[in-house]
Amino acid sequence: MKFADYVKPENIKLQLEGRTKEEVIEELVECLTESCCTDDADTILDAVMAREREGSTGLEKGVAIPHAKSDAVSKLSIVIGISKEGIDFDALDGKRSHLFFLMVAPTSESGPHVQAIAKIVKMIKIERFRERLLKAKSGEEVLETISMVENGEM
Amino acid sequence: MSEGSNPLKKILLYIDGSEAAITAAQFAIVVAKSYGSDLRAIYVVNADLLDELLKARVFVQMEKMDYERDLEEDGKRYLNYVVKLADRKGLKVETALRKGVVHEEVAKEVDSYGCDLLVQGELGEVLSLRDSFYEEGERILRKVKCPVMVARGRDRIEKTYEEL
Repeated sequence: MKFADYVKPENIKLQLEGRTKEEVIEELVECLTESCCTDDADTILDAVMAREREGSTGLEKGVAIPHAKSDAVSKLSIVIGISKEGIDFDALDGKRSHLFFLMVAPTSESGPHVQAIAKIVKMIKIERFRERLLKAKSGEEVLETISMVENGEM
Repeated sequence: MSEGSNPLKKILLYIDGSEAAITAAQFAIVVAKSYGSDLRAIYVVNADLLDELLKARVFVQMEKMDYERDLEEDGKRYLNYVVKLADRKGLKVETALRKGVVHEEVAKEVDSYGCDLLVQGELGEVLSLRDSFYEEGERILRKVKCPVMVARGRDRIEKTYEEL
């Protein structure tokens, strides 16, 4: 899978306004429902929050991957959010999270969902990738950075 | 061709749910039908990847098991689709649903089935050496001990399959 097939500039929030974990997730879900042709924000939000209650998706190095399965979307849907100040997301290393990748997939698309999550996990290990995303000034720049990794240029 | 001289008595088809795998299935059916070969299709639930995501704490245990079940269901669906594709051309296909490290499971199947040829879909777009180590198709190519046919050229293969 290529991220360009799933993420468009309108799926990217460069400056998240939320100050808490719940607010950020709501903001990401709102962006997802606006850009992914679904109006069932509540169902998606419930699914993502239920997953968070099982264990935080805040990983190390300032990255969080909130995700869930929900038939409120018709295909794998991804939203990227950035917070320069950082959010307390109950991350594994106790540090603030800055980069958020919200992924929601219908129950029938677990294969692409797993692949997409695995790909993000691989990408976020690259320090320059994280740095460039944090400094990005536009959605296009975020997508360009993702393409650079996908094309082996980073 | 006498049976003794048939170089392709057994063909193994590797599918992964991609469109390229459907093309590979069509091509494997064409070859198997033409050579009178036995055909087996294999799908492997990538349990290794799920374990990695669990280790990275992206998944919790229950979730991992849930995804594993989903992928198993996906695998059954894909294999059934291949059975139907073959049935349309009057060919029987055996199916094998495995779980584990994908390239290792395919290599094991190649040995245990004793196949003369492995057919797989076009490789994913791998532009860096780093990525090539993660691409399952690439890993399979490096690992198996039998001739491998990579089915490229979707339109052409689809036409051949339809004309069969």
